[in-house]
Amino acid sequence: MSGAGRIVAGLEAAGVTLAASVPDTWIGKLMATVRRSRTIRAVDAAREEEAVAIACGATLAGGRGAVLIQNAGLFNCGGVLAGLVSLYRIPCFFIVSYRGDRRDPIYYHEPKGRVTEPTLSAWGLPFAIADHTTDLEAQVVRGVESAVASSGPAVLLISGEDIE
Amino acid sequence: MTARRPLLEALVAMLARDDVLVSSLGANSRYLPHLNVTAPVFALCDSMGAAIPLALGMALQRPDRHVVALEGDGSLLMCPNVLATVAAARPSNLTALLWVNGHYESSGGQALPSAPVDWSALAKGFGIANVERVGDVPALRAAFPRARAAKAPALLVVDVAFDPSEPIPPYSERPDEIRARFRIA
Repeated sequence: MSGAGRIVAGLEAAGVTLAASVPDTWIGKLMATVRRSRTIRAVDAAREEEAVAIACGATLAGGRGAVLIQNAGLFNCGGVLAGLVSLYRIPCFFIVSYRGDRRDPIYYHEPKGRVTEPTLSAWGLPFAIADHTTDLEAQVVRGVESAVASSGPAVLLISGEDIE
Repeated sequence: MTARRPLLEALVAMLARDDVLVSSLGANSRYLPHLNVTAPVFALCDSMGAAIPLALGMALQRPDRHVVALEGDGSLLMCPNVLATVAAARPSNLTALLWVNGHYESSGGQALPSAPVDWSALAKGFGIANVERVGDVPALRAAFPRARAAKAPALLVVDVAFDPSEPIPPYSERPDEIRARFRIA
């Protein structure tokens, strides 16, 4: 099974019912697999803050929402993370493409990669970096369960090789 | 132009117990605890622009419930793109009311950028076919049933008076209280 398939299997196993997304190259490939899921509703958002609120709405309505976006998109989300996710204590699991880290071959993503982990830390966002050489499905399940347990955000950073 | 409170009272009187109400920050969220609302209410006190996408997520998760979102023109001006997201998702059970008063009422009454935004045309341009503009209580009472019967996303553009001396009550519920109470059965 591809990495994307293992990630989506993890979302399904964790009971995710809705995945809201703004794509980049990697997230777009992942969402192509999400769209084949029988249990997850894929929602295309125009901007990342919307995706967060859509996922939170699904969760408040009794489902489990997840957000699939690029790290640059996560940087857009400071306000909604503070004013919705944290303020109302809503579980919200993110899969975020880690553009610009050492595994990213595209040079112009490097500035985003440089500030990703410091930004997540400064914003108090718990995160893990996916490792496709181990059980990727379990890493996704742990992330969702972490968000539920904390009634807050949890982020899994993925690279292009994690979805191959 | 009609004041906010009679419009809001007319709206909540039309809501059923099985509906869901999501309110953006500001005057509507501050009034709602003082009104008799039978539907579950999720009232924001921050996060401008979140009401419509939050309602969209609820509507997609619970297609058996009609979800009503209250948004302000200042908030939607920050993220009109959400109208495209709603049009693409095509929920059959989402009605948004856009309260247009041209001001950031909750932050001190500053005027919005003075562009003459045609919200109805904008929404239709994004692909929302069911759009009506209402300016008083009778028009709202007539338009809301049409919106909820549309079986497609609908937007009511509500012209509401801006009155800097309006005695809007303060927030009376904390977010954790709102979150704890909010349940869609």
